[in-house]
Amino acid sequence: MNDNREEGVVVTRNVWKIFGSRADEAMEAVRRDNLSKAEVLEQFGAVVGVKDVSISVGEGEIFCIMGLSGSGKSTLVRHINRLIEPTGGDILINGANVGQLNAEELRAMRADKIGMVFQNMALLPHRTVRDNVALSLELRNVDAYTRAQVADRVIELVSLQGYGDRLPSELSGGMQQRVGLARAMAADPDILLMDEPFSALDPLIRRVLQDEFLDLSKSMNKTTLFITHDLDEAIRMGNRIAIMKDGEIVQVGTPEDIVTKPADDYVADFVAGISKLKLLYAHTVMEPLEAYEQRKGPIPQAEAPVAEPDDDLDKLIALSVNQDHPVLIKSDGNVVGVVSKDAILHGVQGEA
Amino acid sequence: MTDTTPDQMGGAPAAATDETKPFVEFADKSGGYFAETFLSIQKAKLPATHVNWMAAIAGFPWAALRANKMLFWIGFLIDLVAAVYLMQVWKFSRAAEQAVIDNKDFLVERFENWTTSSLWAAVIIFILGRVIFGWLADRLYFRQYNTWRVDHSKPSGWDMKRLVWATLIVAMIAPLMLYRASQFPPEERTCIKQARSIAAGEEVAFKDQFDCMIIGEFPTIVWLERRDTVTYPRDDNGDRFVRREAPREGLPPVNLNSYTAQLIDDGIGYLTAFYGFFFDGITTFLRSMLSAITAVFVGTPWIIAMGAIMAISYTMAGARITIFVAASLCYLALFGFWQTAMDTMSLVVAASIICIVFGLPLGIWVGKSKRGQAIITPILDIMQTIPSFVYLLPAVAFFSIGKPPGILATVIFAMPPMVRLTALGIRHVPENTKEAALAFGANPRQLLMKVELPQALPSIMAGVNQVVMMALSMVVVAALIGAGGMGFIVTEALANTRTGAGILAGIGIALLAMMIDRVVQKANTVKH
Ligand SMILES: Nc1ncnc2c1ncn2[C@@H]1O[C@H](COP(=O)(O)OP(=O)(O)OP(=O)(O)O)[C@@H](O)[C@H]1O
Ligand SMILES: [Mg+2]
Repeated sequence: MNDNREEGVVVTRNVWKIFGSRADEAMEAVRRDNLSKAEVLEQFGAVVGVKDVSISVGEGEIFCIMGLSGSGKSTLVRHINRLIEPTGGDILINGANVGQLNAEELRAMRADKIGMVFQNMALLPHRTVRDNVALSLELRNVDAYTRAQVADRVIELVSLQGYGDRLPSELSGGMQQRVGLARAMAADPDILLMDEPFSALDPLIRRVLQDEFLDLSKSMNKTTLFITHDLDEAIRMGNRIAIMKDGEIVQVGTPEDIVTKPADDYVADFVAGISKLKLLYAHTVMEPLEAYEQRKGPIPQAEAPVAEPDDDLDKLIALSVNQDHPVLIKSDGNVVGVVSKDAILHGVQGEA
Repeated sequence: MTDTTPDQMGGAPAAATDETKPFVEFADKSGGYFAETFLSIQKAKLPATHVNWMAAIAGFPWAALRANKMLFWIGFLIDLVAAVYLMQVWKFSRAAEQAVIDNKDFLVERFENWTTSSLWAAVIIFILGRVIFGWLADRLYFRQYNTWRVDHSKPSGWDMKRLVWATLIVAMIAPLMLYRASQFPPEERTCIKQARSIAAGEEVAFKDQFDCMIIGEFPTIVWLERRDTVTYPRDDNGDRFVRREAPREGLPPVNLNSYTAQLIDDGIGYLTAFYGFFFDGITTFLRSMLSAITAVFVGTPWIIAMGAIMAISYTMAGARITIFVAASLCYLALFGFWQTAMDTMSLVVAASIICIVFGLPLGIWVGKSKRGQAIITPILDIMQTIPSFVYLLPAVAFFSIGKPPGILATVIFAMPPMVRLTALGIRHVPENTKEAALAFGANPRQLLMKVELPQALPSIMAGVNQVVMMALSMVVVAALIGAGGMGFIVTEALANTRTGAGILAGIGIALLAMMIDRVVQKANTVKH
């Protein structure tokens, strides 16, 4: 029980959340009869928000959660700092069971370990941007001078310099979202819960903030749960991606797994139309040299372009343009495979 | 009783076109007439003078047959009122004859006058009422058609069976009403006497008993034995003790009202006798608080006080409102109300401070806790429905007269808006901002101080404004129990019919109120 460290920084074990006055009853019935979300709603008037979710997020990992609207992403993430009590299951942070903390311990854990960016921003309307950003420090009784210094630094990070003394109501939606982001970063927590933090931003600033955030979380080794609707964003940011549907997690995997081996039609629909150029690598699309030469005859190895097994499709395409020969894949100077133009085209279509 | 005459104007139901078919189906009897009328209503071509004379002549039974409830009650009421006046004609002419026999000339003339005027009233109400009834008939019937068209289960057509219902209703109401109108009701004293004689076993005529039960005051049903008289004299050591004395033999029992009133008096007497120190303590506290405030308001020379008030109003609410404040202050000063107005202000400030000090935490509790809401809200409802004068009674009972009870009555009267608006403000703080603060580790005190109270502030300030306004109005009333101030001038003017003085003081009070209101409100809007 105490030795869960190797399991991950944030672990959920069979977490269930059912909303409604008859939640416990519904919970039992679901466990017994394996009812669907619609059946629970009909029989108990209760909504299944999260259904038997077990995930484990390792230290420094960015774990993306995707899914349709209402699939339970926010609900799941809210369990982690216990804004919501689970109907069943446990949440462990660094091996400590969040559900067993008393009020003071919980408060301390929220203040020191976990930062959160809210989907609806939830800024305090009566406070200036600076005071909003410094909220977590103020709650920890940090002195005003340090607060202002930290806040101004973070405000600059989200490119809102000069807006420190404005009220949130004077800012645009995207700017408010950045204030929410800055507020979470100012707390400097080990774990970040980000509920669609970039959804209201224009593509340019979004790209900048994504890079900024990637750098930051790499250098500061932050563990992040990142909710997004945008598959491109998930692929860009996530070490792993979880796809949710009706409160359940239908698939967890690396971006490449999700794109190339969707677990079911739902996931396949999700990833249809995504560009595979940066997701597929030579080692996935290549075929053995012998197999190729049997079909097409020998390759003049001196003229053929050469790539590494870890190069992505994008690079392979660049090499094959204006080339009559297939690309040779070499690892440590040895030929390990061949990628023909046909293989590249299949790869672009997503058939590895 | 039937609609045959109009039938000839509209033609037979058979002639109905597609347009008028639903009308005919709805009206059933006299379909042609209604088809035509409803069509002209729909085309907005019905003449303003259109009256359904059949309905006017037939009266409420027509509405009953047509199942139009609204029209039925209107028609029934018209006829009933006319009939009541007719019964009065009978009653007064009998009384006039009696007066002739009794040789009371002045009574004869009075009763004869009443007879004539009742007769006229009966005739006019009947004729005019029936015309109005006829005028309303088709218009209301058209409304009924509209509801029927949406929902065909609603009554339509013409049905003799409905007359049975109508007759039942009339039979239940009319006879008693008419009987009551034809009789002089017995006096309450007569009835009390009668009740005693019945209790003593004497025979009483049925008519007299009936009159006392039904057409006079609601009969006294509950009779209770008198309570012991309780006094709280002092014994030899000067300590109070309770002395009970049984009521004298042979005194009649009392009714519920007197009994309960006695009970309350005894309770208050007991509390003041044995817990007097508690009430005295409160009185002393209020008095010293008030004298401190009065020292500021009245003790400051007028020239400094005026300057200070104007400076405050300028910083809080700006130049325009300060001009108004200056003019009001001039009025008060020129008409000699300065000291009295400052006296009133001290009372208002004292009462408002107490209201805020107690109302704010109470409001927070009500806003945050379900239980608090369940306990306090009904109490506030009661506090706000009780007329302000009533608060003076317990204040006087426990604290005697003067300024302290005046302040207390004012506090009770002015507290509810503070509690309510604070609770409202707290309850309307968006859930997500509270959640955000919690997510960053706020403890309950930080949540209240940094998130909830700041966001509830506009509502709380509106509460403060209300408190001050209500305190001002109550302080005027409290002059009745010796709280003094501007209200004293008004009550005195009322007692001595010195209208002019009263009006001047009234204007002064209004100006005071407007001054405070404008400044506080403006200050509130400037900030947010
Ligand atoms: N407080 C609540 N009471 C009742 N039902 C709730 C509550 N919060 C969420 N739900 C239900 O739980 C389900 C999941 O909601 P959730 O907010 O987690 O969705 P989401 O995946 O975050 O959607 P979105 O992308 O739109 O933010 C929904 O069906 C919602 O109706
Ligand atoms: Mg959500």
